[in-house]
Amino acid sequence: MPCSLYQTTTRQIFHHNIYNNSAVKELGILLDRLNTGRDNAYKSKAKKITMKAIEIKKLSKWYGSARGVEDLSFSVEKGEIFGYLGPNGSGKTTTIRCLMGLLRPTGGNCLVSGERIVPGRATQHTNIGYLPGEFRIWPGLTARRSLAILARLGNGKNISKRQEELAERLDLNLDRRVHTLSKGNRQKVGVLYAFQHQPEVLILDEPTIGLDPLVRQVVLELIREAAHAGSTILLSSHDLSEVAAVCGRAAILREGRLNELAPISKIVQQGRKRLKVWFAEGTQVPSLPVDKLAGVSLIQQEQETLHLAYQGSIDPVLKWLAQYPVNRISTPQTSLEEAFIQYYNKNQPLGVTKHLDSELKEASNEQ
Amino acid sequence: MNSKVRPRFPLPLLRFWTLRILPIWALIALVIFLFQIAVCGIVHDNESVKTFINFIDRLPSFIKTIFGGESLKVGNISGLIAIGYNHPLVLTLYMLFAVGVPTGLLAGEVQKGTMELILSRHVTKIHAYICAGLITITGMFALVMVMFSGTVFATNVYEFSQEVPLHSFFKAAINGGILASAVGGIALLAAACFQRNTAVWLTVAYLVANYFVSIIAEWWPRMKWLKPTTIFYYVDGTKIFTESKWPISNMCVLLSILVISTVLGGVIWSRRDLPL
Repeated sequence: MPCSLYQTTTRQIFHHNIYNNSAVKELGILLDRLNTGRDNAYKSKAKKITMKAIEIKKLSKWYGSARGVEDLSFSVEKGEIFGYLGPNGSGKTTTIRCLMGLLRPTGGNCLVSGERIVPGRATQHTNIGYLPGEFRIWPGLTARRSLAILARLGNGKNISKRQEELAERLDLNLDRRVHTLSKGNRQKVGVLYAFQHQPEVLILDEPTIGLDPLVRQVVLELIREAAHAGSTILLSSHDLSEVAAVCGRAAILREGRLNELAPISKIVQQGRKRLKVWFAEGTQVPSLPVDKLAGVSLIQQEQETLHLAYQGSIDPVLKWLAQYPVNRISTPQTSLEEAFIQYYNKNQPLGVTKHLDSELKEASNEQ
Repeated sequence: MNSKVRPRFPLPLLRFWTLRILPIWALIALVIFLFQIAVCGIVHDNESVKTFINFIDRLPSFIKTIFGGESLKVGNISGLIAIGYNHPLVLTLYMLFAVGVPTGLLAGEVQKGTMELILSRHVTKIHAYICAGLITITGMFALVMVMFSGTVFATNVYEFSQEVPLHSFFKAAINGGILASAVGGIALLAAACFQRNTAVWLTVAYLVANYFVSIIAEWWPRMKWLKPTTIFYYVDGTKIFTESKWPISNMCVLLSILVISTVLGGVIWSRRDLPL
């Protein structure tokens, strides 16, 4: 009896995120068969189920002297929706293109379903649905013909039914030539391309860019459905709200390096929290003793209110406020956007901090 | 998930690219075919030939060299029909195909962003390169055969005072086909290394330089030593029409250029990061 395999598989079921019931059921059956030792083939199948869907190991990519990514390592579990965040030029697209075998890494490697990706070999591509960051397709052809050509280049021969279903949900006319489609509709073609052959791994680079809010919701639904059906999704996005809406975990990249890898809830918590204080009528709003209150900054000051941002414990702020007649205190929920900005704020020069503070101020005004 | 699966040759991609190229190929083939018939229509009549040669003689001597030089004389039917083979219009059409197809298929798809989609399917980079190479080389040979069939058709339509050596024209066509394919190989190499416009300009510059060097070497005796340095030297019309055997050594040189440039292009293409 291969004990270690049994333990790993069991751990996978009980301690890791397995998102769909059928996978758990299948694992159960396989473990039964392993226990009875009836069939060796099941051992390898069980091993495959326990392996990560995507693994990036010490990946580095340099463009001459310019850094794309450096020493990047993370993995994505099967059935997981994994957010991949970072500002422009942080290395998200570089990682994705290395993962697709379009770029040759300078160091390290990428694995999909345990198989190493060899640049240009496309060995895993029948199982991958890919939406590039800048989706461009043959402009003179109809969307239907373009998608059919791309489907024939993989294993997606019987996709017409799925294609129709997706086109209906995305409200897309497949019989129009691509050059006559708007930017948003072209992006819908890209979404359809990624999802049409029901791949087991989806790599989506900014899937909702240029889409209206309603279609954006449809795309997020498609992502959730795919994960529910057992697919693994790597979602690279600038739209943090959509990452928060669908992803369980996220990685944050900064200047080609992994800045954070954590559950979304933890990322949000790590952000700078906000506090809004209403002083009693007629009270002069006190000025903030920045030198005494470390980690606290002023976002906005009005006639009777003070809008603060703080990091760490709220205790020193409350003790300072206790000296004044306060009517009401609210703690607006920290958005992922603020947490995200906070991640980039770390180690940034002062000028940038001021800029980010003004962004927070704008956000508070909008609220 | 399936384990590692070696991709099969992407016949749908070959079919798709062939269908895209077919209209321009058909147009070039039609023009070349009709041009051969027109040339035969002119040169089968001695009076027309005299008028043509008188006209050519009045122009600068290098123009006569371009059209065939001393082989242009009344009674030399082979030399006169061969005008249709080395006429600048025909050469330009060949080069348009040889340069346009590989650069359009490889560098063009990269520039349009569609190569990223093709390579995100079950298609290896080498397979995509082979598809472009096959279409270029097969297309070139097919054009050469169309040219030869134009000559065959015209010799059946028009009556000539002496027998037309079709066997020699066939040799010339095959030799020309290998030359055109070698140019295609150079264009493939350029397309594998550079962006579309750079690849086109480099290949065209290479061809134009070769063409003018070959004309100058032919026209100016002091520059004769330059002849073997040009790609056009290896299609020797005089040798083809005067000797019965095939110009094997010349064909081998051209085949070497084709093989070396194509293989080198394939190696660079497979190792190059895509898209740029």
